[in-house]
Amino acid sequence: MDTFNTLLLGFISVVLVNNLVLTKFLGICPFLGVSGRIDMALGMGLAVTFVVTLSGTLTWLIDHLLLIGTPLEVTRYVCFILVIAGAVQLVEMYLRKFFPSLYDSFGIFLPLITTNCAILGLCLFINLWEVDSLLDAVVRSFGAGIGFTMAICIMAGIRENLNLADVPGCLKGAPITLITAGLLTLAFMGFAGMIR
Amino acid sequence: MTDKSTVPAGLYKDTLLAGLWRENPVFRLLLGMCPTLAVTAAVKPAFTMGCCVIFVLLCSNIVVSLMRNLLKPHLRILMFTLTIAAFVTIADLFLKAFQPMMSEVLGPYVPLIIVNCIIICRAEACASKNGLIVSIVDAVGMGIGFTLSLCVLASVRELLSTGAIFEVQILSLLKEGGWFVPWAAMSMPVGAFITLGLLLGLVNLVSKKGQLKG
Amino acid sequence: MFKIKFFFQQSWLLIVASFFFGLLIAVANAAWQGKILQNEEDKFNNLAGEMLPEAASFETALEEVEVDLGKGKQKAITIKKAVADDGRCVGWAFKCEGSGFADKIKLVLAVDAGFEKLKGFGVLASNETPGFGDQIKLPFYRNQFIGAPAEKLVLSKTGDSEKVDSEIVAISGATISSEAVVHIVNTFLPQIKNQIQTKGLVGNDG
Repeated sequence: MDTFNTLLLGFISVVLVNNLVLTKFLGICPFLGVSGRIDMALGMGLAVTFVVTLSGTLTWLIDHLLLIGTPLEVTRYVCFILVIAGAVQLVEMYLRKFFPSLYDSFGIFLPLITTNCAILGLCLFINLWEVDSLLDAVVRSFGAGIGFTMAICIMAGIRENLNLADVPGCLKGAPITLITAGLLTLAFMGFAGMIR
Repeated sequence: MTDKSTVPAGLYKDTLLAGLWRENPVFRLLLGMCPTLAVTAAVKPAFTMGCCVIFVLLCSNIVVSLMRNLLKPHLRILMFTLTIAAFVTIADLFLKAFQPMMSEVLGPYVPLIIVNCIIICRAEACASKNGLIVSIVDAVGMGIGFTLSLCVLASVRELLSTGAIFEVQILSLLKEGGWFVPWAAMSMPVGAFITLGLLLGLVNLVSKKGQLKG
Repeated sequence: MFKIKFFFQQSWLLIVASFFFGLLIAVANAAWQGKILQNEEDKFNNLAGEMLPEAASFETALEEVEVDLGKGKQKAITIKKAVADDGRCVGWAFKCEGSGFADKIKLVLAVDAGFEKLKGFGVLASNETPGFGDQIKLPFYRNQFIGAPAEKLVLSKTGDSEKVDSEIVAISGATISSEAVVHIVNTFLPQIKNQIQTKGLVGNDG
């Protein structure tokens, strides 16, 4: 099916080729901060995936139903960020009330996520890529979350080993993480041009 | 609330200098990493981004400081976000109108200033608790610190990837009869991460040596 | 009643601020929107003017021309006619786009008056890799398109880049970007040519 093909390509494009963290430089703050251990990284990644899928869909809807072509278009950034902040708030309240165990495992990350560049960045990129259908927007948002989770877990795995390695004093912590991230980016560059 | 006349004399100077080195947002506080990596491929976009951030930081600090007594605690962050989003929209419109080339290069990273940790952190930590003048000085200090850090990073990357800084050719390229073969990797994400990592390491080294001496 | 009062008590600042900022944004938008649109026009005119130097102005010839991009996608573009001082048509120019190595590549394509030969292309927007794909903006690649026949072009890895024909030599190290440009030309050019010819706009002057 042609639609399925487009969706699959869109998904792979966001996860591998245009990975938000490694090619678009989004979500670096949590990437550096939380990727110490794999279980925390996974929790953060899942929280981000959840929020980003929701936000991507909502902002696409608002964009296409309210904003594009109308004079309100100039308020796009304000609308997006308010929607994202609201969505995160709602998700947090909902989780705390109905799924307390889930809230315990990744709820603490949720307030951090609001100012995460990855969410707003993805909503803006979806707008930039001129995504036409709601389903495509949902798939790409989900893909972005998965890509982020993947990058952060790979990073966590490497960092757990880095802690045991002999890193020079001044490079410990953020510097060596950044250098490692750079090498990861180099590896992911191999995927570029895969999708046309 | 502190009365202007009782503010200690050195506070302004101290706040200003803090943003430049001791609490430099990029190299010490590790805030605002996303635009740092994305726009520093060349000095011109980095400088433009820095100026935008100074503008937004200044305006938002002023507004937040002016309304700090009226803020309700649980709507605080929402108010900050709204303020910042409004000023970023204005900055973006300004860029599109008067610097269209830079607007193209910076692309979606201008609206991402809204979620730049620096601005919200300064609003939270400084502007909502201090008077107008201190907030302004803090904004200027942080903004200039941020711009300088971006420009330093961008100079390294641009010099190594094209031999020029701010589009002024410094190292003569091999294909134009010179000797320098550009390191294309510097203009790609790899170069960004690695350069920032090494610069951070350098800053750590320098400040540690400073601590040992003093 | 009390709930509403409580609500207003808590959020009056938010509401006032929203109004204030909304007003501010509206004012900025109104002030600068004209300039923003003008910048877009200027960009197109500058690039097209570079390739069609005799043109004094660009008039809109056809609007909302639907181009089929394949895979069920369509794009509506405007075809502009390049008019010289004396009113004669000296060529045609239109925007076209397609996906490149990184993101979308947006081009301006210029064709001669009779729609026989290309006058070249200019890059409106691209995000290709600097030093590699970015070279599509350079003269040595763009010159290959000047004088090429206004029909489907073929990309080849090696060949004589000086020869003026429908074969385009790819940039070494930037095959995908070079391919993207040729693909864009091949998608848009035949369809636009068809539209222009069926509307009878070609061949009536110059």
